[in-house]
Formats: sequence, C-alpha cells, structure tokens
Amino acid sequence: MSNGALDLSDQVPRNDFKEEVVIKYAIRRMIFVLPTLWAVVTFVFFLIRIVPGGPAVAALGSYATEESIRALEKQMGLDEPILVQYGKFLMNLCQGNLGKSLITNKPISQEIARALPYTLDLAIGGMIIGILFGIPTGIITALRRNRPPDYIGRILSLVGISMPEFYLGILLMYLLAIKLHLFPVLGGGDLSHLSSRLYHLFLPALTLGIIMTAFISRMVRSSMLNVLREDYVRTAKAKGLHERAVIYKHALRNALIPTVTVIGIYMSILMGGSVLTEIIFSRPGLGKMMVFAVKDRDYIALQSVIIIFSAFVFLFNLITDLLYSIIDPRIEYH
Amino acid sequence: MKILKFGLFFLWVALGVGFCLTSSTWAQEKVVRMALKASDIRSLDPHYGTTTIDYACIDPMFNGLVRFKPEDINPEKIEPDLAEKWDRSKDGLVWTFYLRKGVKFHKGYGELTAEDVKFSLEKAANKATSGFAADYSALDKVEVIDKYTVRLTFKSAIPSVLGILTNYHGGYIVSKKAVLEKGDKFKLDPIGTGPFMLKEYIPKEKVVEVRHPEYFRGKAKLDRIELWFMPDASSREMAFRRGEIDIVEGEREQAWVNKMRQVAGTAIEIFGPGETLVLHFNMTKKPLDDIRVRQAICHAINLEELMKFLGPDVTEKLVSPIPLNYLGGTDKVPGYEFNPEKAKKLLAEAGYPKGLDLSMVITEMSDYRRPMEQVQEQLRRVGINLKMDVIAHSAFHEQIRKDVNPLVLYVCARFPTADPMLTQFYHSKSIVGTPTAITNFSHYNKIDDLIEKARVEPDTKKQKAIWAEAQKKIIEDAAALPLCITKFVFARKVNVDLGYEMRSTLTLVTTIKETTDIRK
Repeated sequence: MSNGALDLSDQVPRNDFKEEVVIKYAIRRMIFVLPTLWAVVTFVFFLIRIVPGGPAVAALGSYATEESIRALEKQMGLDEPILVQYGKFLMNLCQGNLGKSLITNKPISQEIARALPYTLDLAIGGMIIGILFGIPTGIITALRRNRPPDYIGRILSLVGISMPEFYLGILLMYLLAIKLHLFPVLGGGDLSHLSSRLYHLFLPALTLGIIMTAFISRMVRSSMLNVLREDYVRTAKAKGLHERAVIYKHALRNALIPTVTVIGIYMSILMGGSVLTEIIFSRPGLGKMMVFAVKDRDYIALQSVIIIFSAFVFLFNLITDLLYSIIDPRIEYH
Repeated sequence: MKILKFGLFFLWVALGVGFCLTSSTWAQEKVVRMALKASDIRSLDPHYGTTTIDYACIDPMFNGLVRFKPEDINPEKIEPDLAEKWDRSKDGLVWTFYLRKGVKFHKGYGELTAEDVKFSLEKAANKATSGFAADYSALDKVEVIDKYTVRLTFKSAIPSVLGILTNYHGGYIVSKKAVLEKGDKFKLDPIGTGPFMLKEYIPKEKVVEVRHPEYFRGKAKLDRIELWFMPDASSREMAFRRGEIDIVEGEREQAWVNKMRQVAGTAIEIFGPGETLVLHFNMTKKPLDDIRVRQAICHAINLEELMKFLGPDVTEKLVSPIPLNYLGGTDKVPGYEFNPEKAKKLLAEAGYPKGLDLSMVITEMSDYRRPMEQVQEQLRRVGINLKMDVIAHSAFHEQIRKDVNPLVLYVCARFPTADPMLTQFYHSKSIVGTPTAITNFSHYNKIDDLIEKARVEPDTKKQKAIWAEAQKKIIEDAAALPLCITKFVFARKVNVDLGYEMRSTLTLVTTIKETTDIRK
C-alpha cells in the first residue's frame, strides 16, 4: 500500500522529472521490502518448527523406527541447534539458494519455477475475468440504482462474496465439466501449448473470476454512485454531453481510482485463493506446493514458497501505487 | 459490451482449440490414468517406498526373485518371477536361486545378472540404504555362483524366506549399475526390470511411466500409465466422472460405494488384505495400567455397530491382532462381548464408579478419525469421556511415538505373516520411547519368547500354534483390542481390463500389470 507516501497536488509536474521521482520511489519501496521479507521468513522459520510433527516422520511414514527417524533428521540437518539451522538458512538465502525439498530432495527453485507460471496464470486469469465482468456489472448496477438490474447484481455479488472458492469450484466442475463436458477438471495443461494452457485454465480461473467479479462490481458500483453525485458530472451533463461520454470519460475514470487500489489488494488475495483452487482442480502451483509442504512439514519448501508469495504481494502493491499516476496525473510520489 | 464480446471470444477459442488438442492426443495412445489419495511420492527407490502412492508407482517398474500372484497375496501361492526356480537346504538356511536369462533392465542398463541380485539384497539389508533392513537381519550372506545363479545363506530360519524376496519392499531387484551411477538421484530416477519404466515425475502432480519394450514377459498392452496425486476426494471423483481418470482411489465408506455404483460404466473394486484397525492400550499409564479399565473399554465397544457405521461392504471382522488371511492369523482367541453393564461394573471395581476422563490426539485422516469418533461415542455411553484433539497426520505419528496417548488407534497392513505385526506391535524391543522403538504403543512385553520361538520354528503347523498362543495372551491381557478390517475401495472404468481378477494385493492399490488393457 501507499504507506502515506502519496500526495495529491493541483499542479501537474513535468514528465521527465516525474519519471525520475517514480523510479526513485519504486527503488526506495524495494529496499524497504527486504526487512519485511526477512521478518516474514524468520517468523515462518521458527513457527513451523514449533508445530508438532517433523519431515522425517512424514517422509518415513508408518514404518518409521526411532532409529530411522533420527538418522533421517541428521541427514536433513535437523539435528543441529535451531539457531545454527537459521544461520545457514539465511546465508543460503542471501546467496539465492533456496535449498532442496526435505521430502523429494529436488531443488526448490526448480519446483517453484515449474509451479509459478500456473499460479500466475490462475491469478491473472481470475483477475481478467473479474475485471471483464466486474466493471460493467458495477457500472450497470450504479446507473440502474434501486431498479431490478441493481437488485439482481447486488444479490449475485453477495452470493459471490459469500461462496467459498472450493464449493464454487466443485459446482462449476459439476456443471461445466461433468454435465456439459465442456472443460477438463484435471491438471494445468501443457505450458508450451497456449490452447491447452487456456483450456485447463478456464474453469479454475472462472472460479476465482466469479469471486473477483463480485468484489470488483461492488467496489465499482459504490465508487460510481459517489462520482455520479459530483459537481463536475452534473456540469458535464448540463453542458449537453452525451450520457455515454459523461459516464466513460468523466465518471468512470475517477471511479476507477479506488477500484485500482482494491484490485491490487485482490491480486494478493487471488494468489492466496489459488491454494484451494489448485487443489480442487489438481493444478500444479505455488498454493498447492505450500499446502503439501505444511502437511509434510517440508520446512525448506514452505519457507521458499512464502518468500515468493510475500514478494508477489509486495510487487502487486507497488504496481498499484504506480498505476495511480497513470489514472490520476495529479498524484505525486515523494 | 466490447469487453464482454472479447471475453466470450476468448472462452470459445480456448474451449475449441483445447478440446481438439486434448482429444486428438488421447486418441493416439493406450493410456490408463489412476488417481490416488496422496500429495506426492516419498521415494521411487523400492527399498524406501512406504506409502500407497510409492507402491503404486514402484510396482509396475520392478520385479522380485519371486512374486505374489497378481490377484492374490496368499504367501503359500508365491510363484517365480526373476528366478525361474530355486532349491533350499534341508535346514532351510541355504537357498539357491536360478535366474531367468535375457531379462533386461530399463533404458539400456543391460541384462539382469546374479551381481544385481546380490547388490539389491545387500542394499535392502543395509539400514543406510534401505528402510526395510530389519526384515533381512537373518540374512548372513549373498553369493554369486555364476552369472545366473545366486546363493543366500541365513543365520537362522525365518518365517518366510520367499516372503522377503517377493515383489514387495526390499524384495525388489534394482540395477546395480544404475544405483552406483545415479547415487542419490536413483530415488527419483529408478531403473528396474518391470513392464513399465519411468518417463516423468512431476512433483506434487503425477508420475508417468511408459511401456518397457524389452520386458521379459512380453510388451505391456498399455503404452503409458499416469499416476496422479490427488488428495481431495471430490476432485478425484469429479475427474473420474468426467472420464479424465480411469481408476480412482475411493473413500472407504458405504455411502461412497453406493453412490459410485450408480455411475454408468463403473466397476467398484473392494479388495484385501485391508488394513487392520487395532486399539492399543498404554499399559504403563494410569488408569489403563489397571486391566479392569482396559477390559471395561473392550466390553463397552460395540464392534457390530462400528462396522455398520463404517459400512458392511468395506469392513470385515477382526477377532485377533493378526487377520485370518495372514499366515498365522487365528480366531481361537477369547473375545470381549459387547456388554455395557459389565463395562460399568468393571470400571466401578477399578475405582471409577462415576466413569473417567481420557484425552488423546487423533489424526485428521478420515480412516482413523471416523472409527475413533464412533468409539468415542460408545465409550461415552458407559461414562468414559474421551477428549480427542484432531491434528495433522505426520504430527499424529510423532505424538503417538512420544507416548502421549492412553489409547492409540493404529491402522495398517503388513506382509501377510504374523511375525511382522507381532514384532512391531507387541515385542518389548519395539516399545515406543526406546532406542529400538517401532510401534509397540501398549508397552507390552509378555510374548517376546513366543515371537522369537515362532520366528525360527521350521514346522509351519507348530509355528502357527505358537503365533496363536501369542495372540491369545495379547487379548487375555487386554493389551490391544482388534476392532475390524477396512478393505481398499477403488472405482474403475469398465473398459479398463486389469488382466486379472483383483482379490488382494500388498501394493494396496489396483495394480497395473503388463496384461492390463483398454477394451474398445
């Protein structure tokens, strides 16, 4: 978020000067993120080790003997004092080495590199659907306030907000995949084939997209209603401008400012929302990786996924802040 | 509106192209896709694989010297696999195996020889390279006689020599060259002699195996098998109903069985050996150190009701700690009839006329949680308030090994002879909290002599009698209460012909063999 670093000003600064200020602002924000990331990974590092159950027991399963558990823990380096483990972890992290999964022994960076595109596809796909349907719905319900389209839109958005994604996902699966045979329910498709990728993406993205539509339409409706009451809208109407011009050129642009703010936040929520959606649709992805890492107490995998998630949350917030200046040129960065 | 139109256009392009691409790819190959209740494999090295998903992936890739019949785990019907024949010395300590000639390992790793067998068995017996080393503690040496002959010498007689050489756990034969060459990477890139070989392992998603073109029993009928890791039951069911999955691991619940029986083109397979559900009592902790309290619990539990709750199709009676279809299983043990009044009386005699409170942890896994919830309700009726904290499965395994529970429900299947179960659950060396601990949660130590005596008894009849005596003592001492057996439940598309009739398997899943095919 903006952390109070945004100011509105009546004066529009020169473009070259503004660019420089924006870059400096972005760099400063990126530097500030390092201590935040450190705090997050430190918290997770210690928290997961406090919780009962360890990766050795998970890896060995029901045949585990006391001796074999201890031997595997030694092999995993879990017999060392926790502060030594923490020191090694930070040192490796500074060198860009995320380590190897305690369960599969595969480099985590490889697993993340494979899973990340699927999660990004899902989050971006969900957001696109949310924007495509949320903004028009918001506009229509605002313009038809207290009339049947508004009632229907509000009821549907309430349903969308209240419905858990795993339930909605299963409903969509049943309807569009089982009954109508339109979409697959298994896997993420082949990343190298765009059509296969989109075909497998559609249902999970629709699941998240419907929820996003609900959030965005409510936000747009509320912003539009505020903006439509403003003097400049009334003035524009009084000037005899066409209604479409008033709505799209004057009202919508201003109504989008708070919407962009929430879209940035929702993008982070979508990354989190991918967890259940990926499990339901058996898609590869960071969310699924995180859940399984918790289940198997794969400390290394969990720490790494959380770092990536946190980095993305930060990135989306930064992009949101930077987008303000495009939507509203009066905004200055300090 | 333009935005909406663009959205719809995007939808139809994705739908059309994706559908065509997927359909054409599927039409070309004979593929069976199986979905299992798992998040990932642990290891594809057969000497480390311990979970159901590991077994499902490992079995099509490896062979043992001998094997169980594909449809049956009866140890008395073990048949040749990589070994054509064998002979044994009179004392049963020296076994000579004659290997098939011309058996090829996957991916050009050459012909199977006695060196590979020696290497594999020594690897299986070494605790640094195997999770099943304890099974081979009696193995003294493995000698290569010639390229196709190998001799095994045992320090003492063991219950089933052929048993530890089957296509199960440490009995799988690996390529010596591949293990030495790949080192630690062998766990995820294994080389065996089975009808299928590893093509791809995608963490958290699936294992893909393709036909081994030089398989010694002839090429497999399928081109490819895919084993999907799908922990969510609804997703597995949806994928099966959608036709994207051909064989699916089901829920061991009557409701699931009944529901799936209604799905057209579906065969439901319910098979053994099943997993035993046994309630172990911690005999060292109050109040269960008093036999009357343990007996009261036994009398308070209504096994009929429990089995009805879990489902008549998916459960089977278990009267002693060892199932009847295991070598050494018996029904000649005293039972505890369901008698709540007697339970209350015993509790009163033990000093708990108003009942008692117990607390324990239980895993979130429904295979454990559901029966335990039923037991909890039955105990409540006689005044025993059992507080259960539900925790993650791996945490549960850790906690019960730390002796936190007065009662431990343990669900498992083992090699179908009495020795592994008796040793792991009732021998004093296996008591939890000790350096040699395995899974003796009751701290029981009164049948060590019987377990050890039966282990070296060459006469099967006498051996069975000793095992029966051991089980009788366990029940008399109320160290544990056998609840029931839950069988494995799978749904299969009827066009998938397994090539055998599934009755029981140690891999605990519907296994894919070279005979498995897809009917038009």
